[in-house]
Amino acid sequence: MDTLLLSKLFSQLGASGFLEGLGITLYHTVVSAAFAYLLGLPLGILLCVTDKGGIRPIVWLNKIVGFLVNILRSIPFIILMVALIPAARAIVGTSIGDEAMIFMLIVAATPYVARMVESSVKEVDKGVIEAARAMGTGTLGIICKVLIPEAKPSLIVGAVISTVTIIGYSAMAGTIAGGGLGAIAVTQARTSNAQDVIWLCVALIVILVQVIQEGGMYLAKRLDRRICRRHKTRKINEKE
Amino acid sequence: MIELSHIAKIYPSADGEVVALEDISLTIPDGAVFGIIGLSGAGKSTLVRCINLLERPTSGRVLIDGEDLTKVKKKRLLEIRRGIGMIFQSFNLFEQRTVEANVRYPLEIARVPREEAKARIAELLELVGLSDKAKAYPSELSGGQKQRVAIARALALNPKYLLCDEATSALDPNTTTSILQLLKKINEELHVTIVVITHEMRVVESICTDVAVIDKSRIAEQGKVEEVFAFPRSGIAKELIIPNLIRSLQSTGGKKLRLVFNGEEADMPIISALAMECGVAVNILYADTKSMDGKTYGHMVISLPAGEKEETVKRFLTQKNVIFKEEI
Repeated sequence: MDTLLLSKLFSQLGASGFLEGLGITLYHTVVSAAFAYLLGLPLGILLCVTDKGGIRPIVWLNKIVGFLVNILRSIPFIILMVALIPAARAIVGTSIGDEAMIFMLIVAATPYVARMVESSVKEVDKGVIEAARAMGTGTLGIICKVLIPEAKPSLIVGAVISTVTIIGYSAMAGTIAGGGLGAIAVTQARTSNAQDVIWLCVALIVILVQVIQEGGMYLAKRLDRRICRRHKTRKINEKE
Repeated sequence: MIELSHIAKIYPSADGEVVALEDISLTIPDGAVFGIIGLSGAGKSTLVRCINLLERPTSGRVLIDGEDLTKVKKKRLLEIRRGIGMIFQSFNLFEQRTVEANVRYPLEIARVPREEAKARIAELLELVGLSDKAKAYPSELSGGQKQRVAIARALALNPKYLLCDEATSALDPNTTTSILQLLKKINEELHVTIVVITHEMRVVESICTDVAVIDKSRIAEQGKVEEVFAFPRSGIAKELIIPNLIRSLQSTGGKKLRLVFNGEEADMPIISALAMECGVAVNILYADTKSMDGKTYGHMVISLPAGEKEETVKRFLTQKNVIFKEEI
């Protein structure tokens, strides 16, 4: 992209317009991801713990929660959004703007996050859990001191994937509830068919996703004690 | 004292019930190193898990120092478990915790004050010989080192009992020996009663005082190791203790004697002495002996010449305190 094109772009919308869009997208994503985890993390753990082979099997509860999660997961987001308009009005008082959008994102992302968390926590070695039980750990202790810490790297990877999905959702939600890079791209495409604006939005989203993906994976690897240390020592050995 | 009384464990399955344990009664006296040996699938892992109620028996009672675990409240059960250490075949260390944090875990659960815990961790790592690995992660350790960490962790709360579920099965022979020596030391110096689950006879031979042989969900026989080792009665015990013996007995005719060495007669050259003093030539049909701590353990089968020499040989062996048994 040369400077001429850029200046043309910015004259249409202004550099601040794009930055604002990026900021809004980031804001929507971070806030809804945070809330989705606040709800999804306990739900995911509940799904894992109450499962048949779990540490505290409560089959009926597991079935009900699993069923609800599946229903929300199976509705395409664009339809879910429309369906949620009355609910948004009732709960946050409006069906447009940041609050409404974040509300919709949370509803869509929470079941997704719950399944992500469930699969991460299920990866924790059964033997390790058994050892913790043998040492006299209760259910809550196993969740807080074993499941979450031992699944940490996998949970971070899951959070990265969830966040990227939420970015995608937020771009889509922008078309209905407004705001963010998605909204800019869609509005521009409708009104003036400004291809360059659309592509700049796409480029910004791509960069945002890349940064989150790479940063998150780096963090997950750094924090994983099963592999990270070994890689480090190998690097040191190679230097020698 | 651990007492299991008429323990049964039945799992429901798609095609009927699977019986894992049937009418198991055992008494494990304090101070013992109690071996439970059996082939895989015999139910021994389920049995050891019934002791700390990781598996709840379908029927029967589990008494730890007189308290029936199947009847206590959940909170009390957690407390009792803290007094029973356990180690596993696959070590089961917390991969995301350092060695010292692994050992700290049971202390955290029992809310031991930080300073006290710190001193205890140092003491435990010293005991298992891993003081220099305190800051390492499990992925940086060898199998034997991992099991040492697991032992330190299991001993953190000064348990009265230590359950070992195939603790040496994933280790090479040399490492196995060093882990067994450590367990022996723990039994002798810290007076911890140890229950050892294994399919390896040499584990029982080298550290156990008592043994129960389990086969097809039942106890086939039990007793002091020397007795069971010398005179196995059940087919499964014979197979575990003297696997090649039965075959060697079947392949030859004539009269045979099985000599049992259980650490008593050290390095006396029994066979040479027998040949010289009794004036008979004996044929060694089978021998499986090994020395541990300067004592000889194992079996030997010799064929006897027919006739009057037989009694001379028996008298000689009795005189030398060699345990023997006639085999047909």
